[in-house]
Amino acid sequence: MSENPTSSQVAEVAIIGAGPSGLTAATRLTKAGLKPVVFDLNAAPGGQVYRQVESPQADLRVTGIDYRLGQRVVEAFRRARVDYRPDSRVWWVQRVDAGFELGVLHEGRSAVWRARRLILCHGAMERPFPFPGWQLPGVMTAGAAQILLKQGGLLPEDAPILVGSGPLIYLLGWQYLQAGHPPTCILDLTPRLQWRLPLRQPGKAWHARGYLFKGLKMMLALKRAGVAIERDIEALEAIGDKVLEQIRYRQRGHWKQRPASLLLSHVGVMPETHLTRSLGLTHRWHAEQQSFLPVRDDTLSADENLWVVGDGAAIGGAVNAMREGTLSALEVIASYHGLTKKERHERDGLRRERARDLCARQLLDAMFLPSLNIDAMPEETIICRCEALTRGDLDQAISDGAEGPNQLKAFTRCGMGPCQGRQCSLNATLLLSRRLAQTPDQIGQWQIRPPVQTITLGELATSSMVENRVT
Amino acid sequence: MFRRLPETASDSAEVTLWVDGEPQQVGATLSVAAALLQQRGWAEYRLHHDGTPRAPLCMMGVCHDCLITIDGEPNRQGCLVIVKDGMRIETQMPAAQPTPGASTG
Ligand SMILES: Cc1cc2nc3c(=O)[nH]c(=O)nc-3n(C[C@H](O)[C@H](O)[C@H](O)COP(=O)(O)OP(=O)(O)OC[C@H]3O[C@@H](n4cnc5c(N)ncnc54)[C@H](O)[C@@H]3O)c2cc1C
Ligand code: FES
Repeated sequence: MSENPTSSQVAEVAIIGAGPSGLTAATRLTKAGLKPVVFDLNAAPGGQVYRQVESPQADLRVTGIDYRLGQRVVEAFRRARVDYRPDSRVWWVQRVDAGFELGVLHEGRSAVWRARRLILCHGAMERPFPFPGWQLPGVMTAGAAQILLKQGGLLPEDAPILVGSGPLIYLLGWQYLQAGHPPTCILDLTPRLQWRLPLRQPGKAWHARGYLFKGLKMMLALKRAGVAIERDIEALEAIGDKVLEQIRYRQRGHWKQRPASLLLSHVGVMPETHLTRSLGLTHRWHAEQQSFLPVRDDTLSADENLWVVGDGAAIGGAVNAMREGTLSALEVIASYHGLTKKERHERDGLRRERARDLCARQLLDAMFLPSLNIDAMPEETIICRCEALTRGDLDQAISDGAEGPNQLKAFTRCGMGPCQGRQCSLNATLLLSRRLAQTPDQIGQWQIRPPVQTITLGELATSSMVENRVT
Repeated sequence: MFRRLPETASDSAEVTLWVDGEPQQVGATLSVAAALLQQRGWAEYRLHHDGTPRAPLCMMGVCHDCLITIDGEPNRQGCLVIVKDGMRIETQMPAAQPTPGASTG
């Protein structure tokens, strides 16, 4: 298909992301006779959780039974014959009179799309977890290791050390165990008190029982297999000359050291807010999720004709993402021709299930509340990886008078590297918030301008129509 | 280094990648960054502008520590590009670089 970059293509509804939320939204819209277009930068549908689900590289015994649900969702999506565009990065979005315009990069060429309605299903990212030495080769995130496992059946040659908090740490440990290659140990950063929350909140624990049992089962399997689970970890350092060689950690006041070749770290996930921020949507600090979330109304809409669903809006997990995807589709259908009685019934049922699940989620959020304080990190800890700026560098700029994110950026170049602040923006705001004794909402985050995805000069040259608009 | 699960290795298609001029057989579903982590590990992936070695952190397009030259084009995100037969990869590890710690500003 040859695309003329100077003329735009049109869709009734544009969906960004083919993870659980985008897949269900598209499938439901199609069932109602609407014609959405779905863009995803990955080569295959599934998103983060169901990556590579159509041609699995590791069997279900390893990836876990939840993967089967993903297979069903992707099959339904394929049957619906949606206009699905893999390998397509949406690198800018803007509001125009009659809806939205999107810049979509595919095979080195950029095309402009227009759509009346837009559903953002772009998902989450792992929370950046800085500690001294986290920039060393040999330190990766647990999510990255899981992507390697799903995408290519890749396992670390030598048993890794897992560190952090949150369900993904135990899930990955369990997956490695199932593959016959367990980690050497798991260093758990979750404060002990937080593990006891289910006992103190039995109502929420009941709603969350599915998640809790699954977690417990994995933990027990790891323990039985002899994987050491170390708790009360208070501080962490990665040490090495050119690559990771050792880790040091403080446990109940005592420093310990271990040789390590691969350290997989993780402290939970949070919405990726580049797209929503570039659209100028309001974001609010959510203390339980320790993240900025785009503000939505009860219909999951963040603005006129714009819905934000799934983990890109607030962390709710894969099943919630599917519910929200379907709910957003029903809202779009309602905006076209109202809902039938049956559709209203479907919507109300989904809303009830969502409310119940979010109640369980509150408990999980509290249990896995990240305990790291950015301002307490040693001053040599790199915060902005791209510009190699340390906590000390940022503190210096704050004492020199940087009063907000934009000034901090101007003083230090923090957030101006290729990742566009994805790894440092939140931590810069949190540091400012601590030092200036203001809430994260008062400090805010720096503004995001397109491109929201990396684009090369050659690719930019294909988008003549776009140039005068976004550069 | 990473290795493939035995069951994956036995029934999965492969392509040939040219890494710094050397041919490498890699799994067809892998991203460029994943293929390198498997074939070579993380030790010699990329030299950052401050002279320190770096390697992929997130594998999902967030961190940009996987930047690499693909078919002559520098600074592509290796974790987001799936390998293709005949693809030419150059790791961004120039021999003559400032010593670690030197800053380029
Ligand atoms: C690394 C990682 C691993 C995870 N592993 C698990 C797990 O094992 N089990 C679990 O239950 N949950 C896991 N999660 C949580 C996950 O967020 C949810 O389970 C679920 O995937 C959320 O679904 P979603 O539809 O909201 O987003 P996602 O599944 O994240 O899908 C979003 C899709 O949008 C695409 N996208 C984003 N931006 C753009 C753009 N600008 N242009 C084009 N496409 C774009 C992405 O490539 C992605 O395919 C993981 C999260 C992360 C970040
Ligand atoms: S590894 Fe993080 S962007 Fe590629």
